[in-house]
Amino acid sequence: MKVNAEMEQQSEAIVKFDNVVKRFGNFTAVEKADFEIGRGEFLAIMGSSGCGKTTTLRMLAGLEDPTEGAIYLDGEKVNGKATWDRDTPMVWQSLALFPFLTVQENVEFALKMRGVGKEERRQRAEKWLEKMQITEFANRNINQLSGGQKQRVALARALVTEPKILLLDEPLSALDAHLKVRMQAVLSNLQKDLGITFVYVTHSMSEAFSMADRVVIMSRGQIEQIGTPEEIYREPYNRFVAEFLGSANIFDSVITGPSGSDGWKVDFEGGETSLSKDELPNAVQGQAVTFIVSAENMQLSAPDSGQPGILASVAGEEFIGGTAMVFLETETGHELKVQKSHDELSLLNLHAGSKVIVHWAPESCHILPGENL
Amino acid sequence: MGNENRIVNGLLKLHIALCLLFIFAPIAGSFVFSLNSDRFPSLPLGEFSTEWYRLIWEDPLVWQGFANTVVVGLTVAVIATLLGFGGAYTDFRYNFTGKSFYLALAMLPPTIPVVIMGLAMLAFLSRVNLSGTTISVIIAHGVMCSPFAMAIIRLRLSQMDPDLEAASWNMGGNQWQTLRYVIIPFAKPAIFAALFITMAVSFDEFAVAWFVSGLNETLPVKILGFLQGQVSPRINAIGSLAFLSSMTLIILAQLLLRSPEDKKS
Amino acid sequence: MTKRPTLFSLILSMPLLIWQLTFFLFPLLFLVAISFWTVRNFQMQPDINFGNWERVLTRGVFWDAYFRTMVLATAAAAITSIIAFPASYAISFKMSEKAKRWMIFILIIPFFTSYLVRVYSLQVFLSDAGIVNAVFGYVGLGPFPMLNNAFGVIVGMITLTLPLVILLQTFSLNFVNRDLIEAAHNLRCGRLRTVFAVIVPSAKVGLVVAALFAFILSFGDFVSPLYLGGGNPPTLSIMITDFTKSGQQWPRAAVVAIMMIVTLLTVAFAAITYAYKERGK
Repeated sequence: MKVNAEMEQQSEAIVKFDNVVKRFGNFTAVEKADFEIGRGEFLAIMGSSGCGKTTTLRMLAGLEDPTEGAIYLDGEKVNGKATWDRDTPMVWQSLALFPFLTVQENVEFALKMRGVGKEERRQRAEKWLEKMQITEFANRNINQLSGGQKQRVALARALVTEPKILLLDEPLSALDAHLKVRMQAVLSNLQKDLGITFVYVTHSMSEAFSMADRVVIMSRGQIEQIGTPEEIYREPYNRFVAEFLGSANIFDSVITGPSGSDGWKVDFEGGETSLSKDELPNAVQGQAVTFIVSAENMQLSAPDSGQPGILASVAGEEFIGGTAMVFLETETGHELKVQKSHDELSLLNLHAGSKVIVHWAPESCHILPGENL
Repeated sequence: MGNENRIVNGLLKLHIALCLLFIFAPIAGSFVFSLNSDRFPSLPLGEFSTEWYRLIWEDPLVWQGFANTVVVGLTVAVIATLLGFGGAYTDFRYNFTGKSFYLALAMLPPTIPVVIMGLAMLAFLSRVNLSGTTISVIIAHGVMCSPFAMAIIRLRLSQMDPDLEAASWNMGGNQWQTLRYVIIPFAKPAIFAALFITMAVSFDEFAVAWFVSGLNETLPVKILGFLQGQVSPRINAIGSLAFLSSMTLIILAQLLLRSPEDKKS
Repeated sequence: MTKRPTLFSLILSMPLLIWQLTFFLFPLLFLVAISFWTVRNFQMQPDINFGNWERVLTRGVFWDAYFRTMVLATAAAAITSIIAFPASYAISFKMSEKAKRWMIFILIIPFFTSYLVRVYSLQVFLSDAGIVNAVFGYVGLGPFPMLNNAFGVIVGMITLTLPLVILLQTFSLNFVNRDLIEAAHNLRCGRLRTVFAVIVPSAKVGLVVAALFAFILSFGDFVSPLYLGGGNPPTLSIMITDFTKSGQQWPRAAVVAIMMIVTLLTVAFAAITYAYKERGK
């Protein structure tokens, strides 16, 4: 039975990180990475610079060797296997296109390295040039292309061997915002068309969340959370993830007693709310608890409305498209953020320093499991 | 430009002009003297004459020296560039214990006074019975020229996106293929520049060659011989020709190093 | 990736190492060895004999030459640095990028002309009946003796080192933070004072290294002392060539060479230490 299950697992996952550690001297770049990547999955690895996301990708590509643990690629342990013996092409942050070769020669490169004959090389490269809509630039020099065109060359060059997996290291970071969105669509569609695995490293939440099936969030070499964008957004695992996402209010509080039959009553700055017992079944009265309420689930009421909640004053406001993020400060100096539509805000007639009551529905509270173990 | 002062700037320009005059007067003078009939040129200058060129043209020893110079120069250029490329790539790519020793050994020869280099080479090469041969000049010049080749190629490699090499490995190119299809094409202008510049350095080097060459004198050693013997404006004629050939090499090297990324269209 | 050297890395790195060990380091070490050898019937014989050292180091001729060479090289390095600085300053601070590149190219040219030919040409310029004295003659001055004396030697050494010193100084001045200068002007530091209070200290390392190179080149030069200074009394390099070329006294030449290298290393070490010494504790 167990063997069967493992076989099953192998065919499901194309990549398996088995407790992988990478150290550079005394510095630990990746600490106990343990996860799998499914066939045909679009996985994003996200984190700020230096979090170990690129090192993770480079280990998969064979550009770094793990210090401990094992990496399985298509069921085969690949520790120590040279990068040129793997088929894990990468799209580089710098694109790393060869400036001394034409577009066509760049795309043919991987085939040439594999000893594919001239005619076949040309045909296969042309197919990919066409697919990426850059046939007209085939004989151009790399430096004559625009940023978006270069991006397409880099993709064609990486995909020409028809690999099962494509690694992308912040490929869009050099593009302007408009082009970035267009290339995101190109990448998403490409991945669906080809049905191959994409492993996409980025520091941008919008890139990761808009394209990926699952997202890995890393910080200081540790994996903080793995899940679908929806899961991570709704239920961040710990404070780091919640702060990283940036749109949640984090409350450190204490359980003051039961609330009804299926909840805990918690106290915050004089305001009271209740948490579902499902999320914290074994808690006792007096226990510390950390929970979040996302900014768009926060409600605002006029100070004279009599609505129970926390009294806060407006510290500032930031426009985010059709909505605005209002930054508030409670009387004890705790910062809150509330995201609302402009219409709703205009009814309250807020300005810097004006008072407002903040409240939320108990069901919009989410306990951070990683902080309440 | 309130901080500029026209008088000061004018004086600075004048100073640069004087420095250049000082540096280039002997070089230009040599040209002029080579085409002058006087044995001891002074003001006013004598008549225009190609006598000195005719004399060297007819001197078989000069021709032999020239042939030696070219053979040595070409061989040295190839050897020094190969050695320099290896050293430059080693420095670019690897970190290892003793690297500073490696680099010091590679880069120090130009700082050792040529008389000392010459003496050391002579003592060593005569011990292994190579003194007085053309090979000994090639060996000595290989030592002296490889740092130049290494510096030129290293500079080019430092302009390379380090991901380029990794990208090639990542696409299935092993280290040799990557060297052949990525590193060398990228460094090509610098490799040619290194060939030309090391050749030019070897063309003009006389001191160490004088110590070790014996009878297989290169042209610069011949000049030294002329200089030690009676004064002869033939030196100017040879010098002018040598200068022209060196400059051709340098300009070729410059053009290579200047050219923007290879234009393929 | 792997720490173990690969065949690939060895094939690329080893040839240079082996070449320089065999043909550069080993000959220099061999030089030390033969300084203890003896010469009999014009043949060198392996030995451990301090006679060469004693003979060279106890002679006044050697020490005269030593101090003469020191003074000449120091003077040449100092004069060249002083002449070069205004030029480097102007190139670095007053010229456009394009003009800078041209100046650098022009200053590289002399490296590829024969120093011998230049010195020969200088003989013609500097001799009693030469070009320079002819010019002086027109205005009723001279003739001044400019050849076969220290003046001629120094002129030759400056010819050799000036382009290199200007280049090195220019490179170091290019690295001086331009904001510092504006800050100094802004703090009412005058133009000339800014040069000495801000620019020179900021570029100190490069300026010292440039002077050091001028010293090293001049110290080892045998062409200027021989053909512009007359060769008598000799400098250390001339002693080496004399010992080697005429007397077959290679061991003694080796002693002089080692003394030169020790001197150069000491000067270089002192200069570099001085260049990198930080103000304050």
